[in-house]
Amino acid sequence: MTKRDISICVNGKWYELAVEPYETLLDVLRDRLGHTGTKSGCAKGECGACTVNIDGKAILSCLTLAVQVDGKEILTIEGLHKGAEPHPLQEAFVKQAAVQCGYCTPGMIMNAKALLNHNSNPSEKEVRKTLSSNLCRCTGYERPVKAILEAATIMRGKDER
Amino acid sequence: MKEGFFRPREYHRPNNLQEATWLLSSFGKKARLIAGGTDLLVDKPSEVECLIDVASLDLDYIRRDGDGITIGAATTLDLIERSQMFSAGPYVVLSEAASNMATPTVRNMATIGGNICNASPAADLPLALMVLDSTVKIYGLGGSRVLPIGVFFEDVNRTALNEDELLVEVHIPPSPASTGASFLKLRRHQTAIDLAVVNVAAKLTCSDNFCEDARIALGAVAKRPIYAEKAKRLLTGKGLDGKLIQEAAEVASQETKSIDDVRASAQYRRRMVAVLVERALKLSVTRCGT
Repeated sequence: MTKRDISICVNGKWYELAVEPYETLLDVLRDRLGHTGTKSGCAKGECGACTVNIDGKAILSCLTLAVQVDGKEILTIEGLHKGAEPHPLQEAFVKQAAVQCGYCTPGMIMNAKALLNHNSNPSEKEVRKTLSSNLCRCTGYERPVKAILEAATIMRGKDER
Repeated sequence: MKEGFFRPREYHRPNNLQEATWLLSSFGKKARLIAGGTDLLVDKPSEVECLIDVASLDLDYIRRDGDGITIGAATTLDLIERSQMFSAGPYVVLSEAASNMATPTVRNMATIGGNICNASPAADLPLALMVLDSTVKIYGLGGSRVLPIGVFFEDVNRTALNEDELLVEVHIPPSPASTGASFLKLRRHQTAIDLAVVNVAAKLTCSDNFCEDARIALGAVAKRPIYAEKAKRLLTGKGLDGKLIQEAAEVASQETKSIDDVRASAQYRRRMVAVLVERALKLSVTRCGT
């Protein structure tokens, strides 16, 4: 036995794949499915660039084997927008200029998405704690924090309507 | 970089403990259990040929009954950190240890069983579990057995588990009333990789500052997490004051077998054990009333 058949749902679409036991979800997303929005930073769980959502939780795709997520639904940065409309988090990151080189951004946004899934009104402290999972070496954290708080406000407003 | 050579050929996801232990015994040293993957997929050891996933063993649970609290080995650290069961009494020591570990995303994945079985001398959760007098339940070909967590750790990355065995759950017995506990950790920054320079857990049972019982567990100062037995004996049966606590902290620091490494010198570690133990004991005293 080497390869194993799995089916995974990425951004609402199911894929059938044969994967080696050692292939990471990160490699499968990027190299097999062409979803290069999820970034490979350190590939050992330190930087958070590869963060995706599984069952609404922020998960490091570099430390997850593809065989482990057989049958699961995965949300990546490419699955956030609705049609031509960006997600409020994406919009807020652009508006706040929270992006410089942009390499850490998909991981930050997916981590923020998971936070907002269970906490629609996070404090600045909670946002900062969440972002401690993501290393940024150029723009810093001020603007991403502002962007996430702004997106949370916008998303709460939409829910109320 | 060993990374290129991590090439397990097999992956199994057993549905029950018998199947898991059978797989472990048939693959021996070439098998490795996988849960959160936050240690295994960082180390990527080249000798692993068979991965055994614990995901279908139903080991993710936190239960309370009259006999204490039981935590399944595959319970993730974020659940322990947020659980109401570890928000009051001496049990807060466990959520403090969990929330002091790595990053929130790593804690979404890392499991209590993994943190225990990796047997790092600097591991955080074992210290909290040690002061809470926890036991571990182990399952193997011969059935199950229970060990006090203090004797589970044998050496750096080595536990009492035989090749056919796996950790099933951790049990925390009830603590007497007026017991307080705390966890403290010295490190540079809280990131995914910053291990403890020194970490400490303490538990005191006292009424009107009279110490009825004490536990002190120390990490990153020996080949495995250790109890500070002499310091415990010094405190037990005495009226607690600042001087006695300071003395006990000094005694605890002399019980260590610290080494020099990239994170700190042995001498610095010994000093910091005294500082952290003193603070942890004082914090535990203030929590005895709650």
